[in-house]
Amino acid sequence: MERFIADLVKSFESGKIDRRQFCETVALAATVFAAGSEAQAAPARGLKMIGVNHISYACSDYKVARDWYGKVFNTKIYNDKGMGRANLAFGGPEPGKGGAFIITRNFGNNEKPAGAVVDHICYTVANWDDTRVNDALKAAGTNPTGRKGSVNVYDPNGFQVQIASIDGENPFI
Amino acid sequence: MFGFAATKLNAFEQGRISRRQLIETLTLAATTMAVASNAQAAGQVGVTAAGINHVSYTCPDFKKAADWYSKVFNLDQVGLKANEVTLPFGKKGEKPYGVTANDVPLTFIIARTRDLNAPAANGQARPKATNVVNHMAYTVADFDSARVQAELKALGVENIRAAGPNAIHMNDAFGYDVEICGLGNSALTDGA
Repeated sequence: MERFIADLVKSFESGKIDRRQFCETVALAATVFAAGSEAQAAPARGLKMIGVNHISYACSDYKVARDWYGKVFNTKIYNDKGMGRANLAFGGPEPGKGGAFIITRNFGNNEKPAGAVVDHICYTVANWDDTRVNDALKAAGTNPTGRKGSVNVYDPNGFQVQIASIDGENPFI
Repeated sequence: MFGFAATKLNAFEQGRISRRQLIETLTLAATTMAVASNAQAAGQVGVTAAGINHVSYTCPDFKKAADWYSKVFNLDQVGLKANEVTLPFGKKGEKPYGVTANDVPLTFIIARTRDLNAPAANGQARPKATNVVNHMAYTVADFDSARVQAELKALGVENIRAAGPNAIHMNDAFGYDVEICGLGNSALTDGA
């Protein structure tokens, strides 16, 4: 990145790019860097999984869930038009750049039970500190229980919500 | 970031910072922007999730489910146990898409077969959830609705339903509703 910025400054100084181009390029470089360096192209056949797009969470009152996730995870609300649903974006990449979100929604008329169930979702917290995480969750009105690097709480609908560090829950450990 | 770069460029042109300082400042800002946005703010109530760690999926036959997700999403299976297996969204050492923090693992699905009425690992009874996660949506690279639908049909996926230009729904091996999206489907656009 430093080499790239240095070359950009050189191009600006020599008049190859103007002020606007310089600033736009720096901003774009930052965004691309944030998006990760690995190739994200689809394979020739099949699909390449990038990540979770959203979790569709249906309940009797979406506002209760919306407010709870807002308080516990500091989620940002989008598209809440008072029509029985709201999108909740949480930390990590911005919406549209790989960021995931929860849709809290009221039960629909055609909810069909499947032969499988998502029984809990686990969220990662960076810069993990057991004391800080537990204190923050208690301050938000929850009762966290668990172990080092991983705690569980229940949301107002009795749904299990896990919060973990990279060591607490890692597919390769 | 644009405004920050413009401010620093002004400072450089006015001689308030050196060329070296300009380069170092912009390099640092560009590489730490996302990390900073993920950091926990001091004094904040609750926590800030940097991403989804995993989805716990319980069904009568976890191997059948895992094979379906492996087939459709090209996922490896690791950590096979008697009643569960893990499917990471990438290879060991990779970071989740769009996350630069070093201590955030890849997202993964745990496919399980277990009694949800049994007590939790700590012996406490589990409350009966009154909500339902009625579908899970996953983002795939280079989403193109027609191409993805063709791929899914070729894989024998059932009940494929397009939902606008950025999303397709389908049933998994247990009739669970799975949605595939492009990056264009986000908190800003979904339901807008």
